[in-house]
Amino acid sequence: MRVLIVEDEQTLRESIVEQLQQHGFTVDAAADGEEGLYCGREYALDLAVVDLGLPKLPGLELIKTLRAEGKSFPILILTARDRWQDKVEGLQAGADDYVAKPFHFEELLARVQALLRRSGGWAQPVLRCGPVSLDPRTQEVTVNGRKVDLTSFEYRILDHLIHRAGEVISKSELTERLYAQDFDRDSNTIEVFIGRLRRKLDPDETIKPIETLRGRGYRFALQRDTAAA
Amino acid sequence: MQPRSLSTRLLVSVSILLILFFGVTILALDFVFQDLSRRAIQDRLEVQVVALLSASEEDSSGGLRADQLAEPRFDNPGSGLYGEILRSDGRPSWRSKSLAGTGLEFPHVQVGERRFGELQRADGTSVLSLSMGIEWQFRNRVTRSFVYSVAESLDPYYAQLSRLRGRLFGWFGALMVMLLGALAVLLRRLLSPLRRVEREIEAIEAGDLTELGGGYPRELLGITTNLNALLRSERERLARYRNTLGNLAHSFKTPLAVMRNLLSTQGAREITVLRQLDEQVGRMDDIVKYQLRRAAAAGGTGLGSAPVDVREALEGLRGALLKVYADRGITCELTVSEGASFTGDREDLTEIAGNLLDNAFKWTRTTVRITADRVVSPAARRDGLRLVIEDDGPGIPLDSRARVLERGARLDERVAGQGIGLSVVRELVHLNGGIIDIDESALGGARIEVKIAPV
Repeated sequence: MRVLIVEDEQTLRESIVEQLQQHGFTVDAAADGEEGLYCGREYALDLAVVDLGLPKLPGLELIKTLRAEGKSFPILILTARDRWQDKVEGLQAGADDYVAKPFHFEELLARVQALLRRSGGWAQPVLRCGPVSLDPRTQEVTVNGRKVDLTSFEYRILDHLIHRAGEVISKSELTERLYAQDFDRDSNTIEVFIGRLRRKLDPDETIKPIETLRGRGYRFALQRDTAAA
Repeated sequence: MQPRSLSTRLLVSVSILLILFFGVTILALDFVFQDLSRRAIQDRLEVQVVALLSASEEDSSGGLRADQLAEPRFDNPGSGLYGEILRSDGRPSWRSKSLAGTGLEFPHVQVGERRFGELQRADGTSVLSLSMGIEWQFRNRVTRSFVYSVAESLDPYYAQLSRLRGRLFGWFGALMVMLLGALAVLLRRLLSPLRRVEREIEAIEAGDLTELGGGYPRELLGITTNLNALLRSERERLARYRNTLGNLAHSFKTPLAVMRNLLSTQGAREITVLRQLDEQVGRMDDIVKYQLRRAAAAGGTGLGSAPVDVREALEGLRGALLKVYADRGITCELTVSEGASFTGDREDLTEIAGNLLDNAFKWTRTTVRITADRVVSPAARRDGLRLVIEDDGPGIPLDSRARVLERGARLDERVAGQGIGLSVVRELVHLNGGIIDIDESALGGARIEVKIAPV
C-alpha cells in the first residue's frame, strides 16, 4: 500500500515514515503543501496523511484541490489545533478521518488501516477471502488457519491484491504502488514475486488465489468473506 | 423608575416654559385691557357729568334738575347709565329715571372732590361711578353745594373682558399646540440620528451588521466612530487571540507528537521509564488541550455576534462524525425545531456539540439522537437553546455524573473514559450562561442536556 505523508515537522515526518515502512507500507513524504500536491497528483496513492498546518499550501486547500481533481484515495488529517470547526471543515473538504496531535503511532496506524479497509470495501479488520485471511494489524497471513511466512515485499503485494479483491490491477499500477518514487523499478520482479506468492499460498494448486489476465494484470480471485469475523 | 426619554424631557420642559410665558402674557394683556377699558369708562363718566352740569336748571325749591338731557339712556330704566344730583344735606335734588329699582346709592363727597368707585346694584351687578362735589351760584347770588354723580354699568365691560380672555386663551392655546407640534417634529428630526444608532446597534446585536454606518452628524461622529473602533478591536482581539492560541497549540503539540512517536517506536514502550514519559506527555497534552479550549471560548453574548444557525452547525458535525465512524454503521437522528439559534460564538457551540456528539458516537451501539429546541421567554430579546444528545451506549453511572459536572473538578480527577471533552463542555456551557445535565436516555444510554437560557 502506498501512503503519502505531508507533514512539515521533519522529526515527526521521518518517525512516521520509518514506522509505516516497518509495517509494510510504501511511503512517500512531503514537507509542505505544494510538494504534497505534486505527490498527490503524480503518484498512485492508496492513502494520504495530511497535516492541516502546512507551509506554502494549507492542508485544507491541498485536500480540496486533490478532491476537485478527482483524487478519491482516503485522506487522514493530522491536526494540532484540535478545534471541532477545523475537523468539520477538514472532513467537509474531503478528508475521511482525523487524528489529533500528539498521537501514538499505533493510533495513526489503526486509522490508516481502517481507512484502507473501508476504501477497499471491507467492513472487518481481518480481510478474509475463502481460506486465505490477512490481518493488516499483525501482518499475519493464514491459509486454512495455517500461518504463511511471507517476505516484506510478498506481503505488500498480497496486501494490495486482497484489499482490492475482485478488481483487476495492472502490473504497472502494482509496481507504482509498491515502490517509492526513488526506487529502481523493474516490472519483471513483480512476476517473480507473484510466482512465489502463488507457491507459498497454494502449494498444491488447489485454491488458485491469484489470476493472471494476460495483458491486463492480476486479480485476487477468491470470493470475499463478508460474514462477521 | 425608567428614566424618561430625551424627547419627553424636552417636551415637558418646553410645555412648562410655554405655559409660564403665555400665562404671564395673558395676565399682562388682561391687566392692560382692564386698565384701558376702565379709563375709557371714566372718561365717558366725566363727559356725562359735564353733560349733566350743562343741562342743570334751577328749580323752585332751590335745587337743581337735569331734565333736558341729550343722552336718552338716563331716561331709560335698565339702560345702564345713571345720574343723580344730591343736595348738601344728602337729599336728592334730581335722579335719572334709569335709577328706578337699582338700589344704587352714590357717596357723598366734598366740594371740589372727584371720586371714582364701584357700586353694587340691587341685583348684585356692579357699576362704575363718578361723584363730584360742586358749588352752584344761583341767579339770586345764593351759593349751594351739590354732589353730581353718574354711573355706568360694568356689564358690557365684563362681557368684553371675558370675550377677550376667551380669545386670548384660545389663541395662545392654539399657538402652544402648534409650537409643541413643531417642536416634536423638530425633535424627531434632531433625534433621528440617535434612533438610527439604536436601530443599527440592534442590527449589530442581531448580527445583520458588523458596524455602524457612516453619515452621522458631527456631534455623534465621536460616539459612532469610537463604537466602531471598539467593535472592530473586540473582533480583532478575539481573532488574534484565537490565532495566537492556535499557533501556540500547533507549536506545542507538534513537539509533543514527535516525543510520542519517538517513544512509541518499536520496543521503546517496553521500558518503564519511557512508558512513564509517554504518560506524562499525555497529561501535558490534556492540560494544553483543556486550557487552550477554555481560553479560546468567547462566552456569553458579545455585541456583534450573530445568532448561530444551530441546524447548520449540527448538520456539519453530524456529517463529519458519520464519516469518521463510518464503519460502525451508526444511525444519527437529528431534529432541530424551526428557528433554533444559539446566541453566542459559533466556535463555542461547535465545541460544546462536537465534544458531546463525539462522546455519544464513541459509546453508542447503534443510535445517536440529537434534539435542538428553542427556549422562548416573552421578556427576552433573544431565544435560548435546549440541546439534547442521547445514545444507546452504556450510559454514565449515577455516582460519576456529579463528578463529571462538578465545577472546578481537577483534570486528573475526571471520570475515566470521558476524556477532557465533558470538562470543556461544562466550562463552555457555564461561560455561555447555561446549565448542563446528565441523565439516562430512553434509548438506554446517556442523555446529556444543555440549556442556554434566553437573554
